[in-house]
Amino acid sequence: MRLSAVVAACFTLACSGGFAGLGATRPAWEVDPPPALESPVVRPGALTRAELPNGLHVIILEDHRLPRIVLSLDVRRGAASVDPAEAGLASFTSELMKRGAGDRDALELAKATDEIGAVLSVGAGWDEMGAAVSGLARDTAVLFEILGDVVLRPTFAAAEANRARAQRLAALERARDNAATVEGWNVVRALYGGHRYGLPRNGTAETVARLGADRAREFHHSMFIPNAAVFSAAGDVDADEILARVKRMFGSDHWQAGEVPSPGPPAPQVAPESRRIVIVDRPDLAQARITLAHEGISRTNPDRIAAALMNGVLGGSGFSSRLMSVVRSDAGLTYTIGSGFSLRRSPGPFAVSTFTRVAEVRNVIDLVIGELERGRDEPPTEAELAEARTLSVGRFSMGLETSDAVMSSLVNLDLYRLPEDSLDTYRGRVRAVTTADTAKMAKQLLHPERAVIVLVGPASELLPQVEDLGPVEVVQP
Amino acid sequence: MALLVAAPGARAIDDPALATRTEILDNGLTVLTLEDPSTPVVSFQMWVKAGSRDESRVTGLAHLFEHMMFKGSKNVESERHAQIVQARGGRVNAFTTRDHTVYYEDVTAESLPLVIELDAERVANLIISEETLTSEREVVLEERRLRTEDRAGGRGIEALLALAFQAHPYRWPVIGWRSDIEAADVAVCREFFHAYYVPNNIVLSIVGDFDTETVLALIRRSFGRLEPAEVPRNPTQEPEQRGERRQTVYFDVRSPIFYVAWHAPAAGHADSQALDVATQILSGGRSSRLYRHLVYEAEQALFAHGAYWELQDAGLFYAVAGVRPGESIEEVEKLIFAEIDRLREEEVSKAELEKAKRQIEVGMINGLLTSHALANRIAIDHMTFGRIRPLDERLAAIQAVTAEDIKRVASAYLLEGRRNVVRVIAPPEEAAP
Repeated sequence: MRLSAVVAACFTLACSGGFAGLGATRPAWEVDPPPALESPVVRPGALTRAELPNGLHVIILEDHRLPRIVLSLDVRRGAASVDPAEAGLASFTSELMKRGAGDRDALELAKATDEIGAVLSVGAGWDEMGAAVSGLARDTAVLFEILGDVVLRPTFAAAEANRARAQRLAALERARDNAATVEGWNVVRALYGGHRYGLPRNGTAETVARLGADRAREFHHSMFIPNAAVFSAAGDVDADEILARVKRMFGSDHWQAGEVPSPGPPAPQVAPESRRIVIVDRPDLAQARITLAHEGISRTNPDRIAAALMNGVLGGSGFSSRLMSVVRSDAGLTYTIGSGFSLRRSPGPFAVSTFTRVAEVRNVIDLVIGELERGRDEPPTEAELAEARTLSVGRFSMGLETSDAVMSSLVNLDLYRLPEDSLDTYRGRVRAVTTADTAKMAKQLLHPERAVIVLVGPASELLPQVEDLGPVEVVQP
Repeated sequence: MALLVAAPGARAIDDPALATRTEILDNGLTVLTLEDPSTPVVSFQMWVKAGSRDESRVTGLAHLFEHMMFKGSKNVESERHAQIVQARGGRVNAFTTRDHTVYYEDVTAESLPLVIELDAERVANLIISEETLTSEREVVLEERRLRTEDRAGGRGIEALLALAFQAHPYRWPVIGWRSDIEAADVAVCREFFHAYYVPNNIVLSIVGDFDTETVLALIRRSFGRLEPAEVPRNPTQEPEQRGERRQTVYFDVRSPIFYVAWHAPAAGHADSQALDVATQILSGGRSSRLYRHLVYEAEQALFAHGAYWELQDAGLFYAVAGVRPGESIEEVEKLIFAEIDRLREEEVSKAELEKAKRQIEVGMINGLLTSHALANRIAIDHMTFGRIRPLDERLAAIQAVTAEDIKRVASAYLLEGRRNVVRVIAPPEEAAP
């Protein structure tokens, strides 16, 4: 349906005859919204799925609007599979995959990519690793070749490993200047301690110093196996041609199935057991960073949509959220505040994060704890939930504007073994959530009384503000 | 419809922006519309030609308005604007630059009439009260602490602009000086609003699945009754720089940051293509000169890049590098200047030139991906060139850039005696607060 029809309908209801300040009847914002125009997520016939004999999943999405393509290959394991003593191994391995593959060394690979205007990215999340290359459709053959080399034939040259390690160590040192980064490191440490989630995904200076070319090669070999992998192609592609290329490049002749690595031990069900406060001492800061956090839910939790809607009302929806309204709009105490779940295979953190001038830190903590308690005692009303639902449905549609975005959602579903039709059913599942569901989520999932509180700022001014809240640990950045 | 000219064997593509329709209402409001039925997202953008360059006694006003425009109008309560749009799943936000303040709502098609009416309402009936100003001033001060005062990079950029521009209003930060934010009162805010938020100073840019006639009718009814007014502009031009300028900023950093900037032409200048190609040669990917020589080979920097930055009244060409902890900022400076000297002294190779052009071409195609990016482009094209500049024209201009052109613009602009150098380094012991 095109807009003209909607507007015409609106005019007949006298809901849109100019804006209120200039003598109209009822302005558009006072009228119930017209129903959202819901087109199918994937155009019929555009999507092709296949599975090769070696277990590789293939997803192809044709979209011929622009002459560009994105190819990617992702595996279903990531940083969570790594022992804490080797934290950073997954991202270190990803970096080395970009530093030489097939017949090309690091510089030749960079040149081959840059000279066709392509972008190569290789990375590791908690639960996945992968490589992606995007460029013009006319360069499909070269893009395939680059992806194949990077995924199947990375060189892992010792000299490159040494360079990459030195650079990582320097970057970790530099990251200590960044208050938000240091805050994040301390949040996960306080929550998860010795579990892999307790260390940064990219590792620490201590763990990165142990990494080298041989270990990265072994790790790559164990992780990149076709029976744990998804190949995807989106854009100006012909599905049959792509499938033929995938079979030649990533089929059983070149790539054998193997044993899928462990996803890593599950995260603690309760973290932390009781409230504690960590202050990272940065005497130079005029603005302190504040995070309250405790365990959240997993990516595959059956209640995740109700949990997301509950969080939307609390702090996940920008200006529409309670936290933004109370802490920014009413009190003027911050520029922004938000809350959210880090969805992983095993439950990652739930966190509320913001910042304020140093003298106001306690006020902000009290406001946040107050809103978390209110979240449980006064769960979302029907009106709040209705806004959260339309917001969620609208954002979903808007987030899938490009075929790249649709594809990354489809790949993510496959990586977590979630139903293939999840995108098609999403809007219906959002609308089915009731206030009883979100109330239940608030009671189950919000624990302000035992959340860890991490502050970054001048300890001498912060300590007196928070020492009555619980045991305080002061650390250096 | 023009075709995007590309390398032999390439499939040319249509530039969808060529279908843009430009309508100027009787009150001077410019409306750019581009129908695109293939996308679920409509981007509605309101470009107000009021940036920090338009401030006079009090800096930061343009940006303060970016905030105040969400704080309520006669018929819409404070913060409701954003909430209403978000409740329909829309993305709503705003940003301020040295030249413009831009408000945007990216929504699904059925919400376009709503956002048109909401934006017209706040331009017509904004409430500027002491109460809302008081709380928003604090929010902006938090933003200033976040982005500038507590951040080495923020301090560095602020110092660089104040150093490079000694006269032009581009010298002060978009967010304003702290003293001015604290001092901005209702009277100066009203004065700024009435001077710049007038229809003849606004461009609406709309891209997505809608019917242009229907939308124009709605805009005439809502925005059409706003009264035009003459818009004041600061007359100051930047005098020619005579001699290098240097500044040191002390900040508690493990990794110092090096900046250098040269004056370059304003947006729309004939040399802009050559400067864009030079940008790619210095910074386009891991095989680019700055990454390769400073980060990869010399291992002195953690990042290094440079770019041509076009503004409406002037431009800058700058380079920046993050020094590896423990390495020397002097060495990084030497390496950056060696790369700039090379641009001036040696012709770039054919392969490097072709690589840079190809990267720009792919970037242009990627710029067509979303309604938001398209709406942004047609607004900038209109304000810079007075028309929508076809992609094939821009690409042809890029393709025409020669190695000699790169050398020529580098020799014309990137001169030793016109450098503006800022170094953000840790304070020496005696300078520590």
